Amino acid sequence: MLRSVSAKTVRDHARAFLWWMLGLVATVWLTVAIYPTVRDRPELNRLVQDYPEAIRAFLGEGSIDFVSAAGYLSAELFSLVVPLVFLVYAIGLGAGALAREEEDGTLDLLLAHPVSRRRLVVEKAAGSGALVVALGVVLWAALWASAAAVGMDIGPGRLAAATAAGVLLALAFGALALLVGCATGKRALATGASAAAAVAAYLVYGLAPLVDALEPAQKLSPYYLYAGGDPIRSGLDPAHALILLGLALGAGVLAVVLFDRRDLRV
Amino acid sequence: MAAPAIQAEGLTKSYGSSRGVVDLAFEVERGEVFGYLGPNGAGKTTTIRLLLDLIRPTRGRASVLGLDARRDSVEVRRHVGYVPGELALYPRLTGREHLSFYASLRGGVDPRAVDDLVERLDLDLDRPVADLSKGNRQKIALAQALMHRPELLVLDEPTSGLDPLVQQEFYRLVRERTAAGGTVLLSSHVLSEVEHVADRVAIVREGRLVVVEDVAGLKARAVRRLVVHFAAPVAAEPLASLPGVRSVEADGTGLRFEVEGSLDTLVKAIAAHEVVDIVSHEPDLEEIFLSYYREGERGAA
Repeated sequence: MLRSVSAKTVRDHARAFLWWMLGLVATVWLTVAIYPTVRDRPELNRLVQDYPEAIRAFLGEGSIDFVSAAGYLSAELFSLVVPLVFLVYAIGLGAGALAREEEDGTLDLLLAHPVSRRRLVVEKAAGSGALVVALGVVLWAALWASAAAVGMDIGPGRLAAATAAGVLLALAFGALALLVGCATGKRALATGASAAAAVAAYLVYGLAPLVDALEPAQKLSPYYLYAGGDPIRSGLDPAHALILLGLALGAGVLAVVLFDRRDLRV
Repeated sequence: MAAPAIQAEGLTKSYGSSRGVVDLAFEVERGEVFGYLGPNGAGKTTTIRLLLDLIRPTRGRASVLGLDARRDSVEVRRHVGYVPGELALYPRLTGREHLSFYASLRGGVDPRAVDDLVERLDLDLDRPVADLSKGNRQKIALAQALMHRPELLVLDEPTSGLDPLVQQEFYRLVRERTAAGGTVLLSSHVLSEVEHVADRVAIVREGRLVVVEDVAGLKARAVRRLVVHFAAPVAAEPLASLPGVRSVEADGTGLRFEVEGSLDTLVKAIAAHEVVDIVSHEPDLEEIFLSYYREGERGAA
């Protein structure tokens, strides 16, 4: 289990991962279990249609259809809960990957071993990324199993597309947190900056239909790359997916370069 | 002839204010134990972190085992064992898990070397290091530094927290390493910690190298404070003029001496009186620095 830095990264977070997994599975299960009562009350759709224009615009297209399986999951899980959970998880991992060892002082002894700084960042990033992907697999499996249990009209492919979009969004912001952590060695700064960037991305995307000045910026928001293509109905947009992946890899490369160049803090 | 174990040329690390090191130039030969001595904050840890490429020099360069400390740092670290001064381990991992992790980063080590260290240092391998005393954590750090039989051991204040028996075992381990051709850089802020094992000693103060000298030469400079209690009062004046005696002060039936270098003449002189007790204090590093500075001033005058 301790044969490499990436293996150790996974192991260090194994116990916490179980708790995240349990919480996520419980959330998915409870949400899906309520669905049959919603499906049997199509008047709920009219309720949402009576919301003020501004709120409907902010909630997005999916909110107008609340009763279909895709519409329900989109409104109840994928518009906020899933990105929030995955962003918090990925940003925490990314920010801590190196900055935590640097702040704790364990990095000095680690880097006194024959491991290049570049390889260290790559291994930490690989271990952290694998954990985020694994949490995505958990989400997908929980959705599929619970949707099947209540006879929800949605297949594993659509669930996989929506989940993958969430994972990619999380990887992009997790990589940003890794980058700030690698560049500064400060975990709190890395967490705060990345969380602020994620909130900004969400607000820009949500408010753009309401604020003329933000309109052109909407498609620049990473949240648009996550939700704009409506993956739960239309599948994963390859261009959006590639851009998110590119952002994650770009931030990762920059993290490697900056970490390689600076002095480690005492 | 192999390249020196360590070679520093104009090695400089500037931080904003006063910390850092300035124009360090010294060589550590293969097979010697090199004491690196200075008060806290003098730049000892900064020097060591430069050698390990944890920080980068502002100017100058260092080579370790003939390799460039900066460019070939991974190769350097393959042959170096390191005990950090501010030791931080992973609190939830046991000693065994630490050794296995660090060994895997080195591509594996000889299990017999690990077993030998576990036995000799009497390591507690099964508890998370958070539950271990400082001394027991320090022993795990020593074991990871020694288990791959490094060509160069870099030890930053390694015996802090160790009980005296383990310290003796530690000094034996250091000696074995040099007997096998290895080299040891041993930093400390107390002379007594290095004088047993070191062949030569460098003294740093405020980031500058004050002197590099063999241990015998250094001890000859050492200023000792000695309090001698006599059965009856003894006149101070005749003793004050003995060679090496820098000052004498009467204190009841006792006399306080400051003696530079050998105590031999003084001890022989006081033996004429009835001595009740002698209290000797650790030679003060600061006093040794000052003696070098005084010499520098005399040389300049």
